[in-house]
Amino acid sequence: MPLFALVTKEWKLLLRDWHALLLLFAMPAVFILVMSLALQNKFAEQQGVNIHYYLVNKDGSPASEALVKRLSAMKDLKILSSSASAPELIDKVRDDRAQFMVSIPSGFGKAMQSTDPLPVQMLAGPGVEPAMYMLFEAALREALVRVYLQHALAPLKTQMSAITSVGDAGLNLDATDKLLHAQSLYQVDGRNRRPSSVQQNVPAWLVFAMFFIAIPLSTTWVQERQQGTYARLRSMGLSAKDLLLGKLLPYLGINLLQVALMLVVGILVVPWFGGQRLTLGHAPLALTLMALALSFASVAYALLIANLVSTGEQATIFTGVANLLMAAVGGIMVPRFLMPPVMQALSRFSPMAWGLDGFLDVFLRPGGLAAVAPEALRLFGFGLACLALAGLRLAKQGGKA
Amino acid sequence: MIQIEGLSFRYPGAKRDVIRELSLRIRQGSLFGLLGPNGSGKTTLISILTGLLPLLSGKIRIDGKALPGHLQEIQAGSALVPQEYAFYPRLSVMENLLFFGGVLAIPAHELRGRLTEALAVAGLESFESVRAEHLSGGLKRRLNLAIGLLNRPQLLFLDEPTVGIDPQSRHFILDAVKRINARGTTVVYTTHYMEEAEMLCDEIGVLDDGRLLACGTQEQLLNNTQSRELTVTLTAAPTAQQSGILSTIPGLEIISRELRMAHCTETDLKRLMKLLAAEGLDICRLKYGYRNLEELFLQMTGRQLRN
Repeated sequence: MPLFALVTKEWKLLLRDWHALLLLFAMPAVFILVMSLALQNKFAEQQGVNIHYYLVNKDGSPASEALVKRLSAMKDLKILSSSASAPELIDKVRDDRAQFMVSIPSGFGKAMQSTDPLPVQMLAGPGVEPAMYMLFEAALREALVRVYLQHALAPLKTQMSAITSVGDAGLNLDATDKLLHAQSLYQVDGRNRRPSSVQQNVPAWLVFAMFFIAIPLSTTWVQERQQGTYARLRSMGLSAKDLLLGKLLPYLGINLLQVALMLVVGILVVPWFGGQRLTLGHAPLALTLMALALSFASVAYALLIANLVSTGEQATIFTGVANLLMAAVGGIMVPRFLMPPVMQALSRFSPMAWGLDGFLDVFLRPGGLAAVAPEALRLFGFGLACLALAGLRLAKQGGKA
Repeated sequence: MIQIEGLSFRYPGAKRDVIRELSLRIRQGSLFGLLGPNGSGKTTLISILTGLLPLLSGKIRIDGKALPGHLQEIQAGSALVPQEYAFYPRLSVMENLLFFGGVLAIPAHELRGRLTEALAVAGLESFESVRAEHLSGGLKRRLNLAIGLLNRPQLLFLDEPTVGIDPQSRHFILDAVKRINARGTTVVYTTHYMEEAEMLCDEIGVLDDGRLLACGTQEQLLNNTQSRELTVTLTAAPTAQQSGILSTIPGLEIISRELRMAHCTETDLKRLMKLLAAEGLDICRLKYGYRNLEELFLQMTGRQLRN
């Protein structure tokens, strides 16, 4: 009976607090939408990577023309046209108005067939990220190798066809295209596809957003404590367990609604804005288990914060900073494979990392209940530990455990 | 009904006790005023009695039941009305009462009657559907009180229930407290308003620095002959010769037209009256005894500011 009264009260209070509803539902939905669309532009396979660069060809040889042709054919690399001089173009790159400049020196084609070839110059703007630098360098190097094979080795090809009976067929330089077959193991409807950025990003930002429930929950808790309501409830015989459960159950429901809403945004709203549709995978039970485990962990964590802080301001600041740290360590902001080994080891202790791994199992891998069970167990364990600490703290403040 | 013996309490990390070796008895059916400056230990004492703080040393029995062993039974028969507005502003008056009724697990068949009773005592019948946040300060205080009546407590703790409200609301609450007490509920009432304690309480305890300085009925406290004070204002200042005669009464101070005695017995008073009459000195104004409870309170607790 007391628990029913506590849960009903919490729902009534929330339904009458538009600010809290906005924070709880509209903000995560907008957050997922914005993050999906923003990151899609950077990583999505269809739009490609947006790299813009200037190309200056000071050589008129067939080799340099072939290089220009090959570079122009690369759909992810956009050549910027300009009538400016080479030094002016360098200034533009230095100001990050373009990311790169590629300059083919005069005599490039002729030198290619000698033992001392002339290098193509690649200049990067100061704002170019290391990953982008490596990507562009690799693309340029690949184009150069192709041109080199075709032009520097062409005389050898002629000589070989003259001295052997193999002919052209034995030295087909375009055969290198067939030396690699790249394929993602991510499957949709039984077919291998490259996962979209939405598929990869929604789980991360979903986990991140779910932990922010600590702000409304802890500020409400602090208010009730400051208003003397908790003292009154405790004087009426309510235990720490009643008080914690009275908050845990309604906020668990809210957190699960948040998950559902954010998934709906990924499935329906993101495509309306031109993004790719989120697919939920083929393991609804595993998805439900992960949502429950993560909700339990995040609400229990919120209850612990609520019992550690004294004011609403402390709750907001502590939650903000702690969540950012957990996200940074947990691979939400920076993919874990990019982290140094120490940080990768640390990330194994972040509940956000467990949540992310579990959701990625469901969204990207053919993961069922067995695949997500370890992460779900860790999250339930973390939640129970948080609840126990919150209960101890509450009991220490005067309530009965 | 409430028996406290040798109670001491210290908050974790504090350097000294906030309650020190306190012993007190509050009889059943009493309307007991607990007076004391800020930080004197009133709220701490009430928190221990209501189970919000643990009993660390000393003994407490309420209705013969010892704390902390019988805490649940004691809580079931008592209620605390905190100083703060301890309810939910976004819920209506009725929703608040229903919520706390649910927390108290009042059986459904009794709930309606309890709600009606609490609304009637607090005069909130016409505000049932109004959200608590839209109530005036006085109505909020009355709702705070009404919630405390839901379990029909035999022991009611009221922690400064009239702070910050207008005289009309204050008198309404004081009358309600009298009615509650008249039907047999023991009331422990903390306040800073001495006139409230004078008007309301049949017994008073003065607490300062964690110690009980005095305890008893108002008459017992105010008629303490050890500390009666006399102030006489004459129509004209006595001459030097008259002053010499008056000074034969030990402890009498003469400051121009005013005569003062910090501790004046009835014998001193009669002797002074005779001397004044004999010397032909007319009295303009005379005050004897304690002026009021506030004076007694200030004398006991001192005039220095508290934290």
